[in-house]
Amino acid sequence: MVNMGSIPKLGVGIGLRAPHVAEVLATRPAIGWFEVHAENYMAGGPPLAALEQLRADYPLSVHGVGLSLGSAAALDTRHLARLKTLLARLEPALVSEHLAWSMTGGIYLNHLLPLPYTEETLDIVVQHVRYAQEVLQGRLLIENPSSYLRFAHSVIPEPEFLGELVRRTGCGLLCDVNNIYVSCWNLGGDPLAYLDTLPARAVGEIHVAGHAANDADGQTILIDDHGAPVTAAVWALYAHALARFGPVPTLLEWDTNIPDLAVLRGEAHTAERYIQRAEEAVYAGVA
Amino acid sequence: MPALRDLQSAFLRAMLGPDEPQLLEALVGDGLLPTARLQMYRHHVLTSLTEVLQVTFPVICRLVDERFFRYAADAYIRQSPPEAPCLFEYGAHFPAFLATFPPCRALVYLADVARLEWALNVALHAEACAPIATDALRDMPGNEVAGLTVQCHPSLTLVRSPWPIDQIWRANQADADVTAAVIDLRAGGVCLEIFRWEDAVGFRTLAPPVYAFRAALAAGYRLDMAAEAALAAEEDFDVVHALADLLADGSVRGWTRSHATRESASCTHR
Repeated sequence: MVNMGSIPKLGVGIGLRAPHVAEVLATRPAIGWFEVHAENYMAGGPPLAALEQLRADYPLSVHGVGLSLGSAAALDTRHLARLKTLLARLEPALVSEHLAWSMTGGIYLNHLLPLPYTEETLDIVVQHVRYAQEVLQGRLLIENPSSYLRFAHSVIPEPEFLGELVRRTGCGLLCDVNNIYVSCWNLGGDPLAYLDTLPARAVGEIHVAGHAANDADGQTILIDDHGAPVTAAVWALYAHALARFGPVPTLLEWDTNIPDLAVLRGEAHTAERYIQRAEEAVYAGVA
Repeated sequence: MPALRDLQSAFLRAMLGPDEPQLLEALVGDGLLPTARLQMYRHHVLTSLTEVLQVTFPVICRLVDERFFRYAADAYIRQSPPEAPCLFEYGAHFPAFLATFPPCRALVYLADVARLEWALNVALHAEACAPIATDALRDMPGNEVAGLTVQCHPSLTLVRSPWPIDQIWRANQADADVTAAVIDLRAGGVCLEIFRWEDAVGFRTLAPPVYAFRAALAAGYRLDMAAEAALAAEEDFDVVHALADLLADGSVRGWTRSHATRESASCTHR
């Protein structure tokens, strides 16, 4: 496993989804890198074989959704071992997981569920991240979740919780600007202040994605469905993130209502222009 | 303040069942009822797992209509939620669930069609594995061969049904000729072998004695016992031919001597 602290200069990648695999294999489009969900490739069949073909031409990022780093119980060692095997086969440039939980009592709920941000939770997540990094022999990037509820006994603001996690485990951060926007909208909070609180040097990857707006009893709730173009507000937040974190590798996520690959490439191109502008601004500042 | 372990147990119960009063007390409404916020998570848990089952069992979904499928999936998910994060492994018990789900009782073939779809899913995700050479057992004395057990290719499953589930499956593919899709349930049963050839997953029918032979081997019986099972189905069953066919099909990844010196050929990863 790589990514021991230095940030690879990868540019903009897209999430590789099943409907696009054949086209990507056949046409090898000009895309910086691909991110895959670890759990979709833990079997040894044709999907993994296809990914191993792509490895030669593109850097990969392995994004786990099932490690459940926020579970009060011990990590699922069988799942961790499967992840380790996958990483050994794919040798990805980036490896990430979530600040969330999805397993308890031997049941997997297939959702990135919210945590109360307390000292107890922090101790538990710190232990799990340390253990996972020890087993996987590398640094994990931990992603901030999108949230629809908060707990009355949460006492630590989320970006401070992440900062403390970085300080105590040496992990990196995957800053999902869409998640920040969605959570701040749904639960209150200032997205810019959130970004400004994160430890800038720990951010090793950014996610941008679209979201949906649902009505709940007359109140608009934003749903992080990764099923639409990135909104102007999230692009603006992305520009702020680039100014603060530098041109870190950025992933364009699109998981539902998946459009043609060309649409994803168009969105990725927009992100590339933001990175270019951020780099020009730094250059102008130096000159 | 609830301990994290207790909070997560309550959350789990609330995702698969009704709201938990202890959990609701721990939530902040922020302008909404806490139960409405909890419902957003419950909705995602149930709909995303339903989508997983729809992907694995598309023919069942078509046979019973999508709305009924969602209803059945909801009951199944609450009864048998996933136990691990790799969701291509989720749904193994769905065929057995359908067999006893009262609203499906009239659709006698449904559970067997689901078993076929599950076998196709297993074949799709089975690890790549090279078979043993077709002449691997050529120089072994007959009495030793008789004492072998074989390890079948991990993609291989054998499914038998009293209903024409192969015809039902084919008639419910997107490219099926719908004018030819009247299936006579009295047409009789079928013995199927599901397998992955290179990257292509499929199935084919086997003659009942061949099915008996292969099913016995797949269940772990010694070759002489599998031969007995086949001979019971057909008096003049040709065991030597049947074994040669099995090897030629690439269905065997290894073998073990059942007695004396234990020795095995192992799977070679592609």
